[in-house]
Amino acid sequence: MQLKEIPVTGIPYDQIKIEKVPAAPEYCERPAELIPSANRAVVINPNRTCMPLGAMWAVLGVRKAIPFVQGAQGCTTYVRYTFCRIFKEPAVIATASFHEDAAVFGGRRNLVEGIRNLVVRYWPELIGVVTTCSSEIIGDDMVSFIKMARANLRKEIGPEKADRIPIVLVNTPSFAGSHVEGYDRASRAFVETLATTRGEPNGKVNIIPGLFYPGDIREIKHLLRHMGVEAIVLFDISDTLDAPLEPPMSVPYYPPGGTAVGEIRDMANSLATFALQPHAGQAGARYLERKYGVRAVVGPPPVGVQGTDAFLKALREITGKPIPESLLQERGRLVDSLADTLHHTMMKKVAVMGDPDIVLGVTRFVLEMGMEPVALAGGTASKTFVHDVEAILAEAGYEGEPPLIINGGDLFEFEEYLKKQPRLDLIIGNSRAVDISRELQVPLVRVGFPIYDRFGYQKRPIVGYRGGEMLLAEIVNSMLDYQYPDDRTQQL
Amino acid sequence: MQIPIDVIPERAGHLEVVEIPACDRRTLPGVVSQRACLLYGARWMLAAIRDAVHLIHGPVGCAYYSGTVRKKNYRVFSTALGEKEIVFGAGQKLEDAIREAVSLRPRSSAVLVYTTCAVGLIGEDVEAICKRASASLGLPVVPVNCPGFGGVSQGKGHDVAAAALLEHFIGRAPAGPPLENSVNILGEFDVQGDLKEIEQLLQRLGLNIICAVSGRATVENMARAHRAGLNIVHCGRTGRWLAQKMEERFGIPWRKVSFFGLAETAAALQAIAAFFNRPREAAWVEKEAETARQRALSYLRRLAGRRVALFFGASRMDSMARAFGELGMEVVLCGSQFGCREDYTESRRCLGRGTLMIDDAHQRELEEFLHRYRPDLLVGGTRERFMAHKMGIPFLVFPQETSPYAGFNGFVNLAREVAALVGAPVWRLGNSGFSRKEGEEMVVKHVRYMERGINENERSSL
Repeated sequence: MQLKEIPVTGIPYDQIKIEKVPAAPEYCERPAELIPSANRAVVINPNRTCMPLGAMWAVLGVRKAIPFVQGAQGCTTYVRYTFCRIFKEPAVIATASFHEDAAVFGGRRNLVEGIRNLVVRYWPELIGVVTTCSSEIIGDDMVSFIKMARANLRKEIGPEKADRIPIVLVNTPSFAGSHVEGYDRASRAFVETLATTRGEPNGKVNIIPGLFYPGDIREIKHLLRHMGVEAIVLFDISDTLDAPLEPPMSVPYYPPGGTAVGEIRDMANSLATFALQPHAGQAGARYLERKYGVRAVVGPPPVGVQGTDAFLKALREITGKPIPESLLQERGRLVDSLADTLHHTMMKKVAVMGDPDIVLGVTRFVLEMGMEPVALAGGTASKTFVHDVEAILAEAGYEGEPPLIINGGDLFEFEEYLKKQPRLDLIIGNSRAVDISRELQVPLVRVGFPIYDRFGYQKRPIVGYRGGEMLLAEIVNSMLDYQYPDDRTQQL
Repeated sequence: MQIPIDVIPERAGHLEVVEIPACDRRTLPGVVSQRACLLYGARWMLAAIRDAVHLIHGPVGCAYYSGTVRKKNYRVFSTALGEKEIVFGAGQKLEDAIREAVSLRPRSSAVLVYTTCAVGLIGEDVEAICKRASASLGLPVVPVNCPGFGGVSQGKGHDVAAAALLEHFIGRAPAGPPLENSVNILGEFDVQGDLKEIEQLLQRLGLNIICAVSGRATVENMARAHRAGLNIVHCGRTGRWLAQKMEERFGIPWRKVSFFGLAETAAALQAIAAFFNRPREAAWVEKEAETARQRALSYLRRLAGRRVALFFGASRMDSMARAFGELGMEVVLCGSQFGCREDYTESRRCLGRGTLMIDDAHQRELEEFLHRYRPDLLVGGTRERFMAHKMGIPFLVFPQETSPYAGFNGFVNLAREVAALVGAPVWRLGNSGFSRKEGEEMVVKHVRYMERGINENERSSL
């Protein structure tokens, strides 16, 4: 299928592909030693972004909270743009507006003045201060700056009002990790700053979902509801980043929902903390375990049959509640769908890319479908990723060619490897893989962060049994669309 | 006249109903500004250079975000600095990265090295490294000094990029006589095919575009840019300075024109034809404009008397204000993230007194504005879009997302899309619905800045 002209807008295809060197006919051979990113200094089209994004994502999941980014304006603008494109929602994020003077004299004035302006303009219920490369490099003493900001605020609006706005500091020097780690650090910073034990167990469980979309969090709540388990979801973006349109709205606008500050304080009294994405959220769960003895259950992501099974089993074990018939039926429906579609999925070659937790969850699921992974690319380097993938392959009794496991590489490496493969049926990954999918003429199923070129994926779960059914349908239908572009010839 | 919305005192001069607003100043921290950074501005200008390697020297995030400019995806190279380089220096990594990038993309004709906040702060001598790399590789390796914190907004980034273009690319080929009937377009970014529209019009005048900075620029055609007969400046903020310098250096005259709106497009084409002394070739212009007006007529009927608010990048304010005027809409706000005095003066001249002008409006000001004025349309960037939607106000993304708005066809597109936005049934659905108890009480509850009441705020939350 060659697309020469985009029919609607009249833009020639070569202008959309901008400067990608085409695979054919004039594809030039690259020096083989420079293809693995580990051998290179240069990174080409990274598959991860910076720490502050993860922290901002987290703060936006708290009720009436505004992230305050201690850095230059771009650090905020780019992220707001990214969030808007993904969630189709406003993302209110304040910037400290670093200019040259801040780079020279430090960001104290920006923070103190900025917090004050943020409060008198927006009256948030919580401020999450997120640091950036620049504030970390110039060595801003954020703890004392925040104290100053608080003192200044007390003077201006009175101690009572000032002290009702908690300020949580998340240190996220971008050069030290990716957005996944930014979220992870935020999970720890929030419980460290806010959670306190009052000695009364609340009988709830904590859920730190990780970089899952609103649809996923709704699905997790659905599972919890059917289990009859009460939960505190830390960074609950299910409503804040998927809000209804029902004007008139008040000014300043705050979306409904989000985790209330009181709930975060209460997290130390819970039965256990589930960090559903091991790389994004584990730190918070571990902290609660160490400090307050709240048991930490880390992963696996509840994607696919076994992933969801593991989540529900752990819930049953901790709360003592049985898994209800309704969920067993949902499970049965997913397994039934697997049976109905196995002739389309068995032994199909698949490549998965994205954040490590998404790749881990999805890989386990595609193995349940009988697919054969060719390449598994986690954008963020992790100590455990390779081991985890190998464990999943071993557990599934996978007997095919061992896949290439990319731990923190870039998209160039992923693409060059796939080009050399004799066969590939499907790519599962985020919107950054679109170019690769077009070039290799292989369908792409969009999963994970970011998806900005299609509508509705942020509302559609991939977790739980029902999410599994949706993902399965998406996978099968995408392959059908490619294999049988003429629908008249195809009957399932 | 009084400013009709609630404003924090420090911002007072930036909102004006009669005069020119204060501009080009530092942003207040913490107010949720819509501005971006120097790197953003530089990428906006330089991204479209197709035969150069674009190397973002900084942490991986800056490269990740730099991959998308004007909704197009670009391949970017990055040094992806880690903690080690931040502490011990990133010079060696940059040198390696330049060499590797060129060997992986062997047909490149230049390397552009963008510096970021992190690099600006650790104080690497990027210039010297680029010079060395340039000598050993035998092709230009150009440093673009754009650490995000420099300047007050992305506007400065445009300047930095323009300076880099002038110094390293424009007019590098040997001098020669002007190429016949050739023009450059400066400050045209080819959003969704705008450039194609403009090019078709110029071709009908018998003209050729040598290069469009920076919608369709290559190292090769920029080198020949000094042989054009005329520079056409489309976006003043990004093109004017370059045009002036090219006039000084190469003696190329320039004209500031706009291709948005029928009258502006027609005037632009007439002026260009007159310059090249080809009035006969421009005979079709008026007729074409009239045809386009006829094509847009059914849309214009639906738009007459509607009110529109504009808030976007600087230089298109006045030309877009005129274009919306031609749609029959009343412009009630004209604001920009990084406009300079000249931009506001031009817009004020075009709009007259009484239109609210806001420089560097922040989220809260725009929300206030939407509440008080309830315009029929807000025009701006993606970041403001969903805020407007939540308030039940239609929103047009500009720079546009779907079809070209430049030229005669572009005007019809604009009319059609605006009519579609304003007339969409969703806005009726959003505003009626089921009556709710709180909904009835809560018409508009403002938290005034001066009241500073957190209790008020709690009451007003949904």
